[in-house]
Amino acid sequence: MKLDPSFIWTAFLQILSAIPTTLYITVVSVSVGFLIGICVALIRIYRVPVLYPLAVGYVTFIRGTPMLTHLLLIYFGLPVLIDGLAAHFGWGFRSVSVPMIGFAYISFSITAGAYMSEVVRSGLLAVDRGQLEAAHSIGMTTPQALRRIVFPQALAASLPNLSNSVIGMLHGSTLAFTVSVVDINAKAQIVASTNWKFFEAYLAAALIFWGLTFLIERLTSLIEKRINLYNRGGVA
Amino acid sequence: MGEPFDISYVFSFLPKLLGTLNTTLLIVACSLLAGIIVGFLVALPRLYKVPVLKTCSEIYISFFRGTPILIQLFLFYYGLPEILKLVHVDMTRTPVLVFVILTYGLHTGAYMSEMIRASVMAVDKGQVEAAYATGMTGFQAFTRIVLPQALGIAIPVFSNLVIALLKDTSLAFTLGVMEMTGKAQTLGSLTQHFIETYIALALIYLVISYTIEKLLLVAEHRLLRHEKRSTPEKKSFRVHKNWSYRRIIAEMGSGKGGAG
Repeated sequence: MKLDPSFIWTAFLQILSAIPTTLYITVVSVSVGFLIGICVALIRIYRVPVLYPLAVGYVTFIRGTPMLTHLLLIYFGLPVLIDGLAAHFGWGFRSVSVPMIGFAYISFSITAGAYMSEVVRSGLLAVDRGQLEAAHSIGMTTPQALRRIVFPQALAASLPNLSNSVIGMLHGSTLAFTVSVVDINAKAQIVASTNWKFFEAYLAAALIFWGLTFLIERLTSLIEKRINLYNRGGVA
Repeated sequence: MGEPFDISYVFSFLPKLLGTLNTTLLIVACSLLAGIIVGFLVALPRLYKVPVLKTCSEIYISFFRGTPILIQLFLFYYGLPEILKLVHVDMTRTPVLVFVILTYGLHTGAYMSEMIRASVMAVDKGQVEAAYATGMTGFQAFTRIVLPQALGIAIPVFSNLVIALLKDTSLAFTLGVMEMTGKAQTLGSLTQHFIETYIALALIYLVISYTIEKLLLVAEHRLLRHEKRSTPEKKSFRVHKNWSYRRIIAEMGSGKGGAG
């Protein structure tokens, strides 16, 4: 093995084709996770009777175990569940027809949901209660107050955490290779082992991830500037 | 897809997995130590704005926070021997564990340095000035006034980092290290009871991370006891004060979001 700097570029071009898969996984898991997160956060904030301990347990379990175990549990557990149910109810649907990437979507969404619920919860709690009361006092209804007053502020407060979570999920998507999804990492492995140039291939993959992370950070700081316009200082 | 589900396997796998717990904890402990040292070294140029070193440490932090740990693992495992071969150092006999600890150490170091920087900067500048006013030297002011306060602020982030590191060690199996996840995969394919193994694995991780969190929470309460107000009428103030610390921590943005 000898270092071959020019191969970094070759590998870079080949790995580029796997970017969409990684982005799909990230976008799906973050957006589904965000929806789960809002539900879980609201359950925890309003202490909904039966669901509250379930939500707490879900968040504790997911945050206390590695993302890889979630993926493996879903990958091995879900087919058993689906096939069991299918046999019981006589469905024509079998777990074999679930594509590999489906397991990644499901598992990463569940993972993201727990982290997102913390992001949403801390964002909502960061908004002063007086804001809601002030909105009520000028005659807004609660949904109006939430939508116009609370949510914009909560979003601004949770944006840094949100961006961290998105980057975390982007990086976590590299685990998808364990269930044979060809994302950037798996593509780098393929390129590396077919050419026997591991270092160059992984360096190219690292550069791509670095670039993607940089883009997300830039984008967030732009949105942050825009969203924090109300917070420009002045009298307060 | 394997054998039918049998809960008793979960209990029989627990002791087998616990046998490899020491490897996992060894990786965590060594990389944590390396991470703290690296973190301090990298944070200092940024805190004191040393010209060239500051840029270097910024690039270092950006790279290790901007790329997935899995890629870093492969990069170091395959890349380091090749680079060292150029200077005629043979690394073919180095155990894999060394590469794993090196990677995790450098990875955690990047997050640690952000944590250290943010918590030192979160201590009010007036505190240092007050320390100077009472005649302390710079070193005394740092060790007696700034450091204790910064530690208290840093603990929640530190706790998150340790737990994230613990969870990240599950990736070491990709290089063939027999830590808990690697052992679980072997057990799974030996017995074809995959779900039971991974449930056992998840339980162990859950217990360890819960313990770490509780331990560090105790440490946080102890380090932040100067924030306590004994008079009851100031109770609301205390909550507020504590909340502001939480806000600082949230805004530091040095935590690892998701993944792990």
